[in-house]
Amino acid sequence: MTALLLHSLQRVRTLVVVIGLLLSLLQFILILVARSIENSGQFAQLATLLPPFVRALMGPAVTAFLSFGGIVSLGYFEPGVIFAVVGLSIAVGTRIALEVETGFIDLILARPVARHRMVTRAIVVSVVSLSFVVALMLAGTWIGLSTLVPDNVERPAAKLILGLAANLGLLGMAWSSIGLAIASASRRRGVAGGVAGVLALVTFLLDYIARLWEPAKAFAWLSPFTYFSPLDLVTGGELPMKNVVVLGGIAVGGFVAAYLLFLRRDISR
Amino acid sequence: MAAISFDGLTKRYGGLTAVSNLRLEVAEGEILGFLGLNGAGKTTSIRMLLDLLRPTSGRASIFGHDCQADGLAARDHVGYLPSEMGIYPDLTGHQVLKLLGSLNHRAVEQKYVGELQERLTLPDSDLRRKLREYSSGMKRKLGIIQAFQADPPLLILDEPTEGLDPLMQDSFYELLADVQRRGRTVFFSSHVLSEVERMCQRVALLRQGELVLLSTVEECRKLAPRDVHVTFVADVAAPVGLPSTRVIQVSPRSWLLKVEGPLSPLLRELASLPVDDLKVSEVKLEDAVRHFYRGDAQ
Repeated sequence: MTALLLHSLQRVRTLVVVIGLLLSLLQFILILVARSIENSGQFAQLATLLPPFVRALMGPAVTAFLSFGGIVSLGYFEPGVIFAVVGLSIAVGTRIALEVETGFIDLILARPVARHRMVTRAIVVSVVSLSFVVALMLAGTWIGLSTLVPDNVERPAAKLILGLAANLGLLGMAWSSIGLAIASASRRRGVAGGVAGVLALVTFLLDYIARLWEPAKAFAWLSPFTYFSPLDLVTGGELPMKNVVVLGGIAVGGFVAAYLLFLRRDISR
Repeated sequence: MAAISFDGLTKRYGGLTAVSNLRLEVAEGEILGFLGLNGAGKTTSIRMLLDLLRPTSGRASIFGHDCQADGLAARDHVGYLPSEMGIYPDLTGHQVLKLLGSLNHRAVEQKYVGELQERLTLPDSDLRRKLREYSSGMKRKLGIIQAFQADPPLLILDEPTEGLDPLMQDSFYELLADVQRRGRTVFFSSHVLSEVERMCQRVALLRQGELVLLSTVEECRKLAPRDVHVTFVADVAAPVGLPSTRVIQVSPRSWLLKVEGPLSPLLRELASLPVDDLKVSEVKLEDAVRHFYRGDAQ
C-alpha cells in the first residue's frame, strides 16, 4: 500500500507543486499590490471605482474588502484561485479513471490488492495534495507579510487567513470527492473530469447568479460554492459551521459513494 | 485440487452474453491453451478469474479459493500478463518491476529476476531506460518478467508472445517448459496454434462465449483443414473422389487442395503420380476456429 501511495503521489507531484507555487506566488504578489495601495493611501478611492453591481454583490463587505487585509485575503477567493484549486482537486480525484483507462489498474488488481485500497489511496492523495497546496498558499502569505509589510500597517488576522484557507480547502476536498465518485464509475478520465468540471462550472455560476438574482436564490443551496463564503470572514465573522458541515458532508458522501461504486463495478476499458 | 475451476461461469452485458455457462478445470502443473476468435470471451473469462469483472452467475476459483469471495487469496497465487500492458511511459523498467513486485505477498528473488532478464535478453541497462524508449518487444519482455518475477504457482498469460521476435519466442517457450517442470500451472490465451501445439497439453476453445471444444492439442489439430500444394514433373489429370479433400485450384502440373483429417489417403493417391514437390501448410488456429464457426463441428 505504501509503495502504491508513493507512486500515486509521484504521479501528481508536478501538477501539485506547480499549482501550489503559482498560488503561493500570487499571495506574495497580492501583498505587494496591497502594500503599494496602502502606501499611496488610495483604498478609499478604490470603492468609488467599483461598478454598482459589484458593490451590490459584496454588500457591506466592500469596506472590509477594500483594505490591506481585504486585498491580501483576495488570494483565497479570487475566481482564478478557486478554479485552480477546484480544477486541481478534480484532476487528482479523477486519476483512478485514468488508471482504468490505461489498464494500469489491471496490473495492480491482478495482485493480492483489495479494491478498497485503491479508493483509500486516492483519498489520501487528494488530502495530501490539497493540504500541500493550501499550505504553500499560507506559506506565501506568511512570508509576504513577514518580509514586505511595514510594522505600522495593520495585518490581516491569522484567524481570517486560516479561516479562508480552511474554507477553500474544504471546498477543494468536496470537489475532489465528487470527482473521485464520478471517476469510480467511469472508464475514461476525460469523461469523469469533464462531467465533474461542467458540474463545477454550472454550480459556480448558480451560486453567482443566486447572489444577484432573487429567484435563483431558492436553488443556491444546491451549489457547493454557496458554502464557501469568504466575505463573511473578511467582514470579521467566523467560519460558518454550516459551511464546514455541508462541505465536509459532501466530501464524506463523495468518498463513501466512491467506495461503493468502485467495489461493485466491472473494471474494463 | 484444480489450479483453476470455472463452474457455470456466465457474464452478460444487458442482452449480450459474453461468457455462457463456462465449465472448465485446469489441472495443477498443466499448460492449457485458451483459444477463440476475438470477442469469443477469452479475456472476459480471464478478467473474471482476476475479479476485475464480476460474473452474472456461476463461480470461478483458483486453487480452491473463490475468485470473488476470496479474491485476495486466489490472486496471491497468480502472475498475470495482460494482452496490453497499461504502464506509464515515464517510468523505467526497474521502477515498474519494483512497484509491481512490492504488491505481491510473495518475495521477489532478485536472482530469479536476473535469470528472467538473461533469458529474455533484457539487461539492467534496458531496465534503467524509460518505457517510452521501449519497443513493443521490450515491453512484452518486461510484461513477462513482471508476471513471472514472484514465481507464482499459476501464470495467466493473455497473448504472451505478441510482439516477440522468433528467437525470443523460443526463449519464452523454454521458460514455460521450465516453470512447468517445477510444477507451475500455465493458462494462456493465444491465436498462434503452433505455439499452443508446442507448449500445451490441452486446449479449450470458446465460441461466442461458449466452450465448444476441450481436448488435447493433437485432437484439436486434426480438426483443422490444411492447404496442400502438389506440383508434378508431368501433366496429370485433375483429382477425383479424394476423401475429406476439397479442390481449390487445379492445373495440369499443380493441385491446390484443402484436406481435412489425415493425409494418408492423399499420399496413397500421389504415390502413383509423378510428384515433383509437396507443400503442406502449417495448421493455423484460424482454420480450426473457422471449422467450428461453420457449425459443422461437434
